[in-house]
Amino acid sequence: MGVADPAAIATPEAISPLREAWTVYRRNVPAVFGTLLLVAIILFVLYGTFIYKGDPYEIVWAPQTPPGTEATVPLGTDNLGRDILRGLLKGGGPTLAVGAAAAIITLVIGISLGGVAGYFGGWIDDLLMRVTEFFQVLPALLFAMVVITLFSPSTITTAIAIGVVLWPQTARLTRAEFLKIRELEYVTAARSIGARNGRIMWKVILPNALPPLIVSATLTVGVAILFQAGLSFLGLDDPNTMSWGLMIGTNRQYILDAWWPVTFPGIAIFLTVFAVSLVGDGLNDAFNPKLRER
Amino acid sequence: MKLTRREILGSAGALLVAPNFAFRAHAEEPQKGGAMVMVSTQSPRHLNPAVQSGAATGVPGAQIFASPLMFDANWKPHPYLAESWKVADDGLSVTLNLVKNAKFHDGKPITSDDVKFSIETIKAHHPFTTMFEPVSAVETPDEHTATIRLAHPHPALLLCLSSALCPIIPRHIFGDGRDIMTHPANSNPVGSGPFRLEEFKPGQRISLVKNTDFFIPDRPRLDKIIITISNDPNAILLAVENGEADCYPFATASQDIKRLQRNDRLDVTDKGFEGLGAINWLAFNTKKPPLDKKMVRQAIGYAIDRNFITKALMRGVAKPQRSPIIESSPFFNPKIPAYDLDLDKANALLDQAGHKAGSDGMRFKLTVDYIPGAPEQQESVAQYLKSQLKKVGIDVEVRASPDFPTWAKRISNYDFDMTMDAVYNWGDPVIGVHRTYLSSNIRKGVIWSNTQRYSNPKVDELLGKAAVEMDFAKRKALYDEFQMIVGDDLPIYWINALPYHSAYDKRIADFPETIWGTMQSINDTYWKKA
Repeated sequence: MGVADPAAIATPEAISPLREAWTVYRRNVPAVFGTLLLVAIILFVLYGTFIYKGDPYEIVWAPQTPPGTEATVPLGTDNLGRDILRGLLKGGGPTLAVGAAAAIITLVIGISLGGVAGYFGGWIDDLLMRVTEFFQVLPALLFAMVVITLFSPSTITTAIAIGVVLWPQTARLTRAEFLKIRELEYVTAARSIGARNGRIMWKVILPNALPPLIVSATLTVGVAILFQAGLSFLGLDDPNTMSWGLMIGTNRQYILDAWWPVTFPGIAIFLTVFAVSLVGDGLNDAFNPKLRER
Repeated sequence: MKLTRREILGSAGALLVAPNFAFRAHAEEPQKGGAMVMVSTQSPRHLNPAVQSGAATGVPGAQIFASPLMFDANWKPHPYLAESWKVADDGLSVTLNLVKNAKFHDGKPITSDDVKFSIETIKAHHPFTTMFEPVSAVETPDEHTATIRLAHPHPALLLCLSSALCPIIPRHIFGDGRDIMTHPANSNPVGSGPFRLEEFKPGQRISLVKNTDFFIPDRPRLDKIIITISNDPNAILLAVENGEADCYPFATASQDIKRLQRNDRLDVTDKGFEGLGAINWLAFNTKKPPLDKKMVRQAIGYAIDRNFITKALMRGVAKPQRSPIIESSPFFNPKIPAYDLDLDKANALLDQAGHKAGSDGMRFKLTVDYIPGAPEQQESVAQYLKSQLKKVGIDVEVRASPDFPTWAKRISNYDFDMTMDAVYNWGDPVIGVHRTYLSSNIRKGVIWSNTQRYSNPKVDELLGKAAVEMDFAKRKALYDEFQMIVGDDLPIYWINALPYHSAYDKRIADFPETIWGTMQSINDTYWKKA
């Protein structure tokens, strides 16, 4: 963009905030690394099954065959003799899906409650915040176990249970943003031209409150994946859906004799959560001008 | 007591000395004294086995209370509180002659009236209703004679008079009119057995001390038995390994058993669980299509590899089980169809039953449930079925239950296709086998009744006859035929005996290895000389 360009002089603020954030983000080495890692994991999960085909439930070799000893099962087999590499590939989808679904549930509940509380204030705020606090003080793992126990284990129940447990943080964050933004001039302007509450909340405040919420949601994906692994570890997972947590849960009793059925899905979970966290931190830096100086 | 086997082996050639040592150990004079610390995962609600079944109450209960008879490792009865007994020729009465000098822990004599009271209490309140169901009256002609009158011959009666199944409880304590199920003495009993209760901390520990006034001279040999309860299997293993505990009687997980076997301070045995006769099996809902067809059930039988389950899945610690009667029982019939793996036969049977494979190779869908909390015996086998039955075109969905009551409710209300289950024989088929196959025991809402809704008049007739047949050979012939029929009808595919193992310190001699194991009085066990 040349200095002499009249358009640039006329509108010196033409760089959109998103574009600016992207500029910051792509200079952030850990964030870029995390993004690439996450993309690699997603590609691995999405396309891996086309390259390395096979039913993850099929018993293909002797149980607990160590990795590297048998060419047909490069990562070895689990306690039933099922191929661990197939399990990793097939189990990645549900694992990531539960993480994403739980994050979306968190966002939906959190934004609805937090937004209403922050926008209207007063007794509505008091009431909704007491409800939020109630959910916040419940021991998260126990509460999730109760939810799953009530509606027998399945992938959907697991996602709902995690979402229901993790939303209060998002609600509080949303409320804080709405409280701040509703006092700004452009909101007053919108109100003065006769916009209704719903429109103001949805079209005016929410887009401006989104950046911190996106950061929070990204980090929630990581937390949800870990949470799901924990629930599987306790045996509260759908046994019909292969997931990394399930692989760990069913094989952990043999860890002293066979480390590999537990270790490989463990590494997969670690890498995924690590990548998601790097992305989340990168987004946080990018959207928050105060942190950019670091 | 400090001399370990390793030290002895180290001092001389192992091969030369080991058999010699074993011989010396057996020949030495049994020692008296010492304490034995047992660890258990099971926490009893109370300590009165007269009104509570199960090993949690049974193990301490059999130490606190004596029973009329004892059983050895060969299913033979021996005198205990009854110094002799006589079964009438017509099988309609059994007379027990009690030892004269037996006393309860409070010093009062044990009389025939207490035997009468105990049997009546058990008949009225114990969950195993078939044990004393034929008992019409208990007569007490004198203080030391009790005659049990029966409405019909009852071949299982002697077994029902043994071990934790028939504790002799004092009438002067438990017969005071209060409800026996909630009687305060259930947790603080006055007993009749070799050990008296010193302390009972529910969920933590039970400590028992020697009854110095016991009616068998020089018994028990141990001064103390302490049962430590922990619900953390890892903590239990560590305690046994580092010598904090001396024995762990109910290990079942292959990981645990193998770890204990590797420890050269410990002996590990699978003896002592024949009486329990715990069978791990796959049950079919025989009234629900397509499992109402015998051919479909048989096809599933042929599609399952029992040897894979016991050898690979349970890693060799479990024994295969082909029959409703535990294979270590004298009533087991080895001729029962075994359904050895044969996928071609399974496919042929399914075709013949009219379930042709669709274009995707699948025939139909089934669900399989399992008891939560026993991963290796139950959940892993269910997972295996999902993988294995796909090979014959059956799409299996594993249905998880979040807790035991949920599972029990589903199964007892017939809301299932197939389920993994574990059911105990309890010594005699009358107690633990009949209940699963009698059509009269199809009782909705009752778990471990005939939840398969299996019904075969010939089986009902055979079991009815076997329940009253006093001649062993004739009774065995009836059970042989019964096994051939259910083996063909296959309402249940029997998989394996639950791999119960006991691990104990090598320096302990005469560890209880009768059919009841630690659920019978531990009178003879002692610590070898140091």
